[in-house]
Amino acid sequence: MPYVVETKQLTKRFGRQCAVAGLDLNIAKGEIYGFLGPNGAGKTTTIRMLLGLMKPTSGTIHIFGKDLRKERIDILRKVGSLVESPSYYPHLTAYENLEAWRKISGVAKTRIREVLDIVRLTDAAHKKVKHFSLGMKQRLGIAAALLNEPELIILDEPTNGLDPAGIIEIRELIRRLPAEYGMTVLISSHLLSEIDQIATTVGVLAKGRLIFQDSIEAMRRYAQTHVLIKADRGDRAWQCLLASGIRADWRDGRIVLADPSDERVAQAVRTLVRDGFAIYRVEEEKRALEDIFLQMTEGKAG
Amino acid sequence: MIGRLWKAECLKIRRKGFWFLAVLGPFGVVALQAVNYGLRKDYLLAQSEDDWGYYLANVGAFTPLALVLGIAILTSFLASIENETNAWKQLMALPVSKAGVYLAKFAVLACLLLVSSALLAGFALAHGLFLDLGGAVPYGDLFRRSFYPFFAALPILALQLWAATVSQNQATPITVGVLGVILTLTAHDLPDWMIWKWPTLRNGWDEPLFSALLGIAAGSLLVLAGMADFARRDVK
Repeated sequence: MPYVVETKQLTKRFGRQCAVAGLDLNIAKGEIYGFLGPNGAGKTTTIRMLLGLMKPTSGTIHIFGKDLRKERIDILRKVGSLVESPSYYPHLTAYENLEAWRKISGVAKTRIREVLDIVRLTDAAHKKVKHFSLGMKQRLGIAAALLNEPELIILDEPTNGLDPAGIIEIRELIRRLPAEYGMTVLISSHLLSEIDQIATTVGVLAKGRLIFQDSIEAMRRYAQTHVLIKADRGDRAWQCLLASGIRADWRDGRIVLADPSDERVAQAVRTLVRDGFAIYRVEEEKRALEDIFLQMTEGKAG
Repeated sequence: MIGRLWKAECLKIRRKGFWFLAVLGPFGVVALQAVNYGLRKDYLLAQSEDDWGYYLANVGAFTPLALVLGIAILTSFLASIENETNAWKQLMALPVSKAGVYLAKFAVLACLLLVSSALLAGFALAHGLFLDLGGAVPYGDLFRRSFYPFFAALPILALQLWAATVSQNQATPITVGVLGVILTLTAHDLPDWMIWKWPTLRNGWDEPLFSALLGIAAGSLLVLAGMADFARRDVK
């Protein structure tokens, strides 16, 4: 299957420091590819290389099956991007900002209205961008990325600095892109929850290396949560569960169920209640991204 | 492609005072002579038989300074438009060549300065006529003193544009600009190969045209060199 984005052994060094090492990204058409990793993992460096803003130290990048080194301008015609914080010209209005970029890409003038409409900035079109809130600037950045009707859109931390309502709105918008416009989306984030809600495929970057690349379902298996139970006479309760054949651990005064599936949890609770243990809390323990990374890296090593 | 970039650049310099500065420069140069001649016209007219020639020489004394200062301000200003929110990355992720972006910026600046030069000719002519300097207007001399410094200053423009676009910190190009102004002030004692002497149109051959031609030649080379270096670098 031809990939929209395909990198081979992509590497970038800054002096002696290796920011990105041997990356093999594969992004298929119509996917929302979640690019996940802690700050400083090399996400932005990778994205900058994909856009031709930085030259790789070694390795190749193919987008739409074309070599980025040879056909950069041709490729960029069909790519939209928002890298790091949104860039804009503060002394110009939203409309003028888009017009400055439109003049270069050469799409129809009516497209400006369309993208302003998509990100719901129509009412603020003729306000200077320096008076915009961060959320509006971010939306303007997304509008700019959509301007040339791209086939591939690259969004680097697009929900940074947005309020919850703004995050939901942007998420809804991104989710619509592949279905309604046939776009392929690459979205980076350092938040697992963010990626988990929209991505169809996930690539995880840690210390410049791609330690995981698979479907979101495979990712969820890694990110599995634990269910903790706090009960009266906890250690006895734990032993009671073990005696009933429910696998569990005893940790910090709590019972940790090995299998967090709904049936198992229900079974465990039923068992404890039946045997007369008072249950104080049944809670889910969300795993920090760092723990998952650790597990992934260990998995690779082992 | 370059036409599109040019239009985009023209849009971006709106409301930033670029055109105001382009008018202010030549206006200031002529205004200095308005003060000079306003205070001691009789004395100045007594200095020479050729009143128009003497007047134009007086105007021309400040043209190189205004030009070098203007170049430093405009280049740094133009780069700051992209630097302010790091719009370089947004701009370069569009289907453009880096060389094209660089050339468009140079073209916009050169155009602004050319307009300034034309305004200088206009202002000087108007003020000269107002002073009633007598005799035929020396249009040739007026043209030379208004436009030759612009061509002679092209290498400085190329150098400053390069410094402003590749520097992370605008203190560097400003420093280069200030040094350039100081060098231009002392142009009298500079050797002929120093580009900061060229806008004064003084050279060993005593032929102003050579300064202008040298400026065009060296300016073209420096623009190409700056462009090549700019295109080679990773985007900020």
